Amino acid sequence: MVGLSLGEQTFIKGGIDQDLRTDGRKRLTYRPIFVETGIIPQASGSARVKLGATDVIASVKAELGKPNPSYPDKGKVSIYVDCSPTAEPSFEGRGGEELSTELSSALERCLLGGKSGAGAGIDLSSLCIVRGKVCWDLYIDGLVVSSDGNVLDALGAAIKAALSDTAIPKVQVSANAPSDEQPEVDVSDEEFLQFDTSGVPVIVTLTKVGGHYIVDATTEEESQMSSAVSVSINRLGRICGLTKRGGAGLHPTVILDMISAAKHVSEQLMNKLDSEIAAAEACDEMES
Amino acid sequence: MEFVNPEGLRLDGRRPMEMRQLRAEIGVVSKADGSAVFEMGNTKVIAAVYGPREVQNRSQQSNDQALVRCEYSMANFSTGDRMRKPKGDRRSTEISMVIRQTMEACILTHLMPRSQIDIFVQVLQADGGTRSACINAATLALADAGIPMTDIVTSCSAGFLNGTPLLDLNYVEDSAGGPDVTVGILPKLDKVTLLQMDSKLQMETFETVMQLATEGCKAVASYIREVLLENTKQLESRRGV
Repeated sequence: MVGLSLGEQTFIKGGIDQDLRTDGRKRLTYRPIFVETGIIPQASGSARVKLGATDVIASVKAELGKPNPSYPDKGKVSIYVDCSPTAEPSFEGRGGEELSTELSSALERCLLGGKSGAGAGIDLSSLCIVRGKVCWDLYIDGLVVSSDGNVLDALGAAIKAALSDTAIPKVQVSANAPSDEQPEVDVSDEEFLQFDTSGVPVIVTLTKVGGHYIVDATTEEESQMSSAVSVSINRLGRICGLTKRGGAGLHPTVILDMISAAKHVSEQLMNKLDSEIAAAEACDEMES
Repeated sequence: MEFVNPEGLRLDGRRPMEMRQLRAEIGVVSKADGSAVFEMGNTKVIAAVYGPREVQNRSQQSNDQALVRCEYSMANFSTGDRMRKPKGDRRSTEISMVIRQTMEACILTHLMPRSQIDIFVQVLQADGGTRSACINAATLALADAGIPMTDIVTSCSAGFLNGTPLLDLNYVEDSAGGPDVTVGILPKLDKVTLLQMDSKLQMETFETVMQLATEGCKAVASYIREVLLENTKQLESRRGV
């Protein structure tokens, strides 16, 4: 719950109009981002991302499963987000469920592409072990520990970092199994495969407040928004997914304008995130 | 299964009376009024405290004391196999209640009538002793929020396997089916506020096991006091006193 007085509301809006926000940022500047990887030893990969006072954790767990009969040569990936009541007392009980579902589906739309896995940031065919029989199921779990706006971008960054931290065990399939039975697989506990995460997009959310749009809005700024557009953009500058939230209508030209701004911002964010992830992984290796 | 080998070492290399490494940090959730992370070995929990604030549900308001509420939740990734349980299952409801009652006993609720204090504990990693870790984290978070308490509450568990009393059970030892005694104490007043045991134990052994758990609580208390002192010193220096 954000309770803002009329004066505070005017201050936030006026600041955005003058390209100087309440915390001193410009309209298209992110808060400092901080990445930590390998924080959940029980998971295949995990990361924690702090974006100002927003704090999220993402973990990736790989389990052996059976591929979907419609797509026998593809693995499966699912994303679940949970909003912890530590972030906001109103998330208590089932209170956070609505936001959790909204975030999960937005992330699936932005990161996983179509049903067949075409256009996904993760190469689903690399998760297949035996065609139609065995594949890896990736369970991506997000947890919002503390929220100060822009949770979606933070979760997207955390998932990207967690995926690049993910190590999936190498699997040996016994060759002499009859073709109609479930083949026996031997999961190695020494050799691991790393993921190619260069195709995983970053998510940039542009929030429209008054006549202008801003990136990385805080909770106070989000309370004044009319609508928000989240764009996921990969390294090549291609748009992988798009979600619009908020009730107010947007003129199509404004949306196109926002997308091009998002594309510009995403380049900086991608580079910043890559260097942060590399630093976090180097730090993680030094410790272990 | 052998939980204590002939050399007297446990599965994770500890001695029977040895605790796992403790680590605590105060002020991890900046939006909350008080928050803390508490780690006991691989068990890691976050606690956040909101309040004292206006009572949300008027019918629960009490005119002579504060309302204390607690919610315990486990992250999907906290257990070895991924958890698919829905929120609010019986185990978490029970633990929420245990934590609430334990914390309520030490908070000076009569000083804050018509208000509400929310304690939220979130388990990030579960490796045995989550109950104790949650209580320890909640104590730190309450202290960080500046909520008046008679004393800090600290908790620790102990068990009895292979004829040896063991302090601070981890997940493997906990699921061995032996007795698991969880004790919570008010260290300064030297009073027991929480006592739970699963399974059965002989009277004489129970005494030693409980004694061991109490010793564990005292060790946790001295660590928590150190952390609080360090935190206060930092606050002091930031203020420039």
